[in-house]
Formats: sequence, structure tokens, C-alpha cells
Amino acid sequence: MSNDQRISLTAPIGRRRFLTAVGAVSAALAAPALVRAQAREVKVGYILPVTGPLAFEAQLALNGLQLAVDEINGAGGIKSLGGAKITLLPGDTQNKVELGNSEAARLIDQNVTALIGPFSSLVAFSVRQVTEKNKTPFLLLATVADNVLEGGLRYCFRMQPNARAMATLTVGNMIEMAKNAGTPIKRVAIMHEDGNFGTTMGNHVEAFAGKMGYELVQRVPYNLRSPDFTPELSKVKASRPDLLVISGYYGDSKIIAETAAKLRIGVNALVGLANAAYSNPKFITENRELTDQLFDGNYWHNPQSARARAVFEAYQKRFNSTMSNHGVQGYQVMFVLKDALERAASTDREKVRDAIAKTNLTDHILTQDAIHFDEAGESVNATPALLQVQGGKPVVVGPARFLEAKPVFPVAKWKG
Amino acid sequence: MTWLFLQAVVSGLLLGGVYGLVASGLSLIFGVLRIINFAHGAVMMLGMYASYWLFVLLGVDPYLSILVTGPLFFGIGVLIQRIVIEPNRDAAEHNQLLLTLGVALFFENLALVLWQGDFRTVRVWYSGASFLVADVLVEVPRLVAAGGAVLIALGLWGFLRTTDVGKAIRALSEEPEGARLVGVNVARIRGVAFGIGSACVAVAGALVTPFFYVAPDVGESFNIMAFVVVVLGGMGNFLGALMGGFIVGLAESLGAAFLPGSLKQLVVFGLFVVVLLLRPEGLFGTRRGR
Repeated sequence: MSNDQRISLTAPIGRRRFLTAVGAVSAALAAPALVRAQAREVKVGYILPVTGPLAFEAQLALNGLQLAVDEINGAGGIKSLGGAKITLLPGDTQNKVELGNSEAARLIDQNVTALIGPFSSLVAFSVRQVTEKNKTPFLLLATVADNVLEGGLRYCFRMQPNARAMATLTVGNMIEMAKNAGTPIKRVAIMHEDGNFGTTMGNHVEAFAGKMGYELVQRVPYNLRSPDFTPELSKVKASRPDLLVISGYYGDSKIIAETAAKLRIGVNALVGLANAAYSNPKFITENRELTDQLFDGNYWHNPQSARARAVFEAYQKRFNSTMSNHGVQGYQVMFVLKDALERAASTDREKVRDAIAKTNLTDHILTQDAIHFDEAGESVNATPALLQVQGGKPVVVGPARFLEAKPVFPVAKWKG
Repeated sequence: MTWLFLQAVVSGLLLGGVYGLVASGLSLIFGVLRIINFAHGAVMMLGMYASYWLFVLLGVDPYLSILVTGPLFFGIGVLIQRIVIEPNRDAAEHNQLLLTLGVALFFENLALVLWQGDFRTVRVWYSGASFLVADVLVEVPRLVAAGGAVLIALGLWGFLRTTDVGKAIRALSEEPEGARLVGVNVARIRGVAFGIGSACVAVAGALVTPFFYVAPDVGESFNIMAFVVVVLGGMGNFLGALMGGFIVGLAESLGAAFLPGSLKQLVVFGLFVVVLLLRPEGLFGTRRGR
């Protein structure tokens, strides 16, 4: 105020300046009317670790979300809501529990219809209480821990396979594939990192042994940061398994595969279990010879789907890189929400929650049957794909109905 | 069983050499400055990045890169000591310790900002080279790393024995008061010791890059073990650190081969606690061990 007065006192206002001022004022006055006239919007919040140690992966998932939102809005928004556009509101967890909570609360305050996130199971454990209390639909993204959905939650849903599905279906797919190839798998060994992720996978593979009729001959938890895995792998070799399962992160998995090759580990195949390296394009490009014919059980897209191919092309064009499995998850989860919004014909959280619970989505790009959720909010048909690196890229070799190429099994090079 | 034992022994010795060199540097710094340098692993990480970039940008072989990274990190070590440690020389010990921890965190996060968190690998023609002796696997780059580490550590030991600077370092390590009285430039020697320690660990980093990966937190893989080694060998005992490296490498490797689950860590750290309790001067420690 005092500033304005001083200006008008020291210099007479010019015509041009006067017009600009008048224009700005009238635009400001007109703005609320314009907003009201616009089609309604649907606010969707994401809470992802877009900074911090998981920033890279989180960005890939966010790219997928963004791609889906653009596609939905470009095609006329949510039709049952008169073409309402989806607006993505950002939340950054930095992979920290307390930030997950506060960001979720903030976004709920901003009236989001649903929340998507948060990668880390630990963060999910905490955020789910916020979303339950505020009766806000919460679609989990890249969260694997089995018990995240325990406790009779009403608003929490998980589209992707949980740890149990990941472990049992991956080993199951391997066993089925081996049987079809005429070289059944009877003896299984697993090496897993000794944190929460690897141990959970190890527990499932161990518990699954009786049911699937294989013997778990060796289970080796290992320290992620160990600079050498030769003794561990020697122990595995001495137990003469047919199959070696490896559940780990990037650096450790790399050294394990390298050492296994040099040791002539003697198995019919090496399979990663939600492995951070074995179907990772970067790892494959940098280690062509080593990665050839490696298996991995992981989230993936359906290679038979024409829509998946179109999505990949659109992603490549927009982000100038190949869509990752996290991108696929982000893209698909947004379309699960879109489908629910269309059916709910409302942005009311309760109605959207009910619509998500009744999801039966067949038009998707995942390697599974229709997406629908059980009472607990788990996706009933969620299935990891069984991948094998062939010709420098991971191809789907299981389940059989999504086959992209014939599996090479047994893999001669591990036999030594 | 015999095969598994032999394989574990060979793997343990190869790993132990590298632990030994990393720990030698740490031990030297402790001996002279009387501080536990938590930034040691972070300096190793920076050394690995230096070798990585020399390889990627200029095509310098990681082993040859030692000629650059050694002197470079000697200088960086001297600077760290000058700028960060020396001004706090009279502060309480825990403050100095926290200071080195701060330096470590700073370097790790700097690396995260500069080069992101993703893993990088140096692939040289000998990266995958290995041979079998009676079915026991020997990886060539690990053999070179272990051998190189021992040679460098022994060379340094000779340096400490024979040169004036080396003698001054030893004097300062064994009898600080006496060293000062006979006219040793204490501040300068402290810097030199920190420089040599940093150069040691950067060189160790260069030696492991052909078979390992480079990432901002990679130093932690070696750093914790180096602490154990230093305690085993006797704090400030240079040759003890080298021997301790082999012991820890062997314990880790044999533990992994013959004990269930993650027990191998327990063996190593158990050893650490037991030695601290029963023989705080270290297995090879002398009366100076403190």
C-alpha cells in the first residue's frame, strides 16, 4: 500500500501502465467465474520417495502415472463426470515414515479423491492409518510386504503381486516350465539378502517346498554389503541344486551371478526373485554375456497386448527411455482408478472406494487375468511374469499363455 | 568338504589382502592422530569413483590409475586433516570422531548428488579372468588386488622403517611427547600420516574396481571390516593390520562356508568383541597398543 502511494507520488502514472493495471484487475475479478465454468477436476495425490535413496525408481513410477493421466485427460477425461480432468498432486516421502504421514494428511486436506504410493512397505504401514482414518482410497504402488493389508483395512488396495505371490508363483512358473522342458526341478537352493525383503522371499520359498514337491537343499541369507560371495556359492554348489534362486538388490546380485558363472555352479538355471538386477535393462546392457539366459520373476507387462506396445511407444516418445516395470505399475494403477471413477460417477471418496472394491478390469497391460480385489484389498489374479534374458533383452517365458519366446532350459552355461 | 574348505581359504585370503590394505591406512591414521577415522570408507569410495572416471573418460586402466589416485588422495587426505581435523585437535575425542563421521556423510551425499545412486562397473578385459587350481576358483582381479595390497602395505612398512618422514611418523605414533621434544614438526607429520592413510584406501579402492561396483555407499562394504581388522591387529600397528586383514578374511569366508545363515558376520564381530575384551592391544599389539 505504502509502496503504491509512493509510486503515484513520485511519478505520474503512464497510460500504458494504467492499462496494464486495469487489465490485471479485471482479469483477477473474472478468474473465479472462469474456474466455475470449467469442467470439474478430479484431484489424485501421489506420495512417492521422489527424493532420497529411491528417487530414481520413484521417478520411473511417477512417469508412468503422468503418462496415464495425460492419456486419460487427452481422451476427454472422466466421461461419467462430464469430462473432468485428473490433476496429479505431488507428495514427497523421501522414503521416510513421518513424511509419508504428513504428506498424506496434507493431500487429504487438499481434497484428493484417492492417494497412490508409497513404494516402501514401512511407509505404507504408517500411511495406511492416515488413509483409513480419513476414509480415503489408497492404491499401493510398488509395495510388496505381505502384511501391509492385514488388519481389516477398508480403503487400501494393492494391484501388484505381494511377496507371497511373487515368491510362490515365480518358483511355481520355473517348476512348470522345467517339467514341460523334460528336466524337472527337484533340488532348489536360495540365496537371499538378509534384510526384510530377502528374508520374506526366503521364508516363502522354504514354506512352498512341500506343496510344490521340491527339496530346499540350501538356504543362504547373505549380507548385502559383503564384498565376496565365493564361500556362500561354494556351499550352494556343494549341495548340488537343480535351481538357484536369488533374491537381492543390484550390486550383490551382480557379483553373485558373476561368481556363480566362474565357479561353474552346476545348476540348470539361475532365477532372480523380484531381483533388482536380472531383468534390469542397464544391468543387461552392461553385462551381455553374463546375463544371457538369466531368469527373473518380476512385475512386467503383457508382451502380447497391442495396448502395452502403444503405451511403451508413447513412453519412449515422451521420456526418451524404455518404460520400466515401475513405469508399467504406475501407468496401470492410474487406469484402475480411472475405471473406478467412471463407474462411481463421483469424486466422493466413499463411492470411489466402493467402485474400486468392485473392479473387474480386463483391459490392462499386465501378465494376468482381470484385475479385481478380494476383501482384504489384494489383487486376486496378480501374477509376476517369468522372464528370461534372450538376445540382450528380457522376454516373457511364463506363465505359458503370455509366452513371448520359448524358454532356453536347462541353461548349459551354468552346468560347467 | 575338502574342496569347500580349500575354496573358502583361498577366497578368504584374497579378500583379506584388500581388508589389510584398507585397515593399514586406518591404523596408520589412528596411530598418529589418535582418532578413529570414520571417513575412511568414504575416501575409499571417492578413490573408486576417481578410478572409474579415469577409466571411462580417459581409458586409464584401474591399476594404472593408482599412479594418479595415490598422489591425488594423499593431497586430499592432507587437506582434510588441515582443514577439518587439525583445528579441532584439542577438542574432546568424541568430537573429533563425530567430525570424521560428518566428513563421511558429506562425501557420501556429495557422491549421491554428483553421480546419483546407481551402480557403476568398470569392465576391463581381465575383469572376468579366472582359473581353477584343483577345482578351486581363483579370480585373477581378486588375486591381483590381494597381491597388490600386500606389496603396497609392505612397501609402506619399509618406508616407515627407513625414511626420516617414516621415522617421524613412527615416533609420533609411539611417543608423541618425545617426538615433539626432538623437534618433529607434529602438525606436518599428522597431515602426512592422514595423507598416506587416505592414499592407501584410495589405492585399495582402485584395486577392487575391476571386480566390484562403484556406488556412493560402497565404502561401507570394506570400512566396518577394516575397523575389526584394526582392533585385531592392534590399533596403530601397521603390519598387525595386514595380518588382521587375512584373519578377518579367513574368518568371514570359512564362516560363510560352514555356518548356517548369516552367522559369518557373528563370527567376525564376535572375534572383534572378544579381542577387545581379552587383548585390547590386539593380537599383534605391543605395549604401545593402548
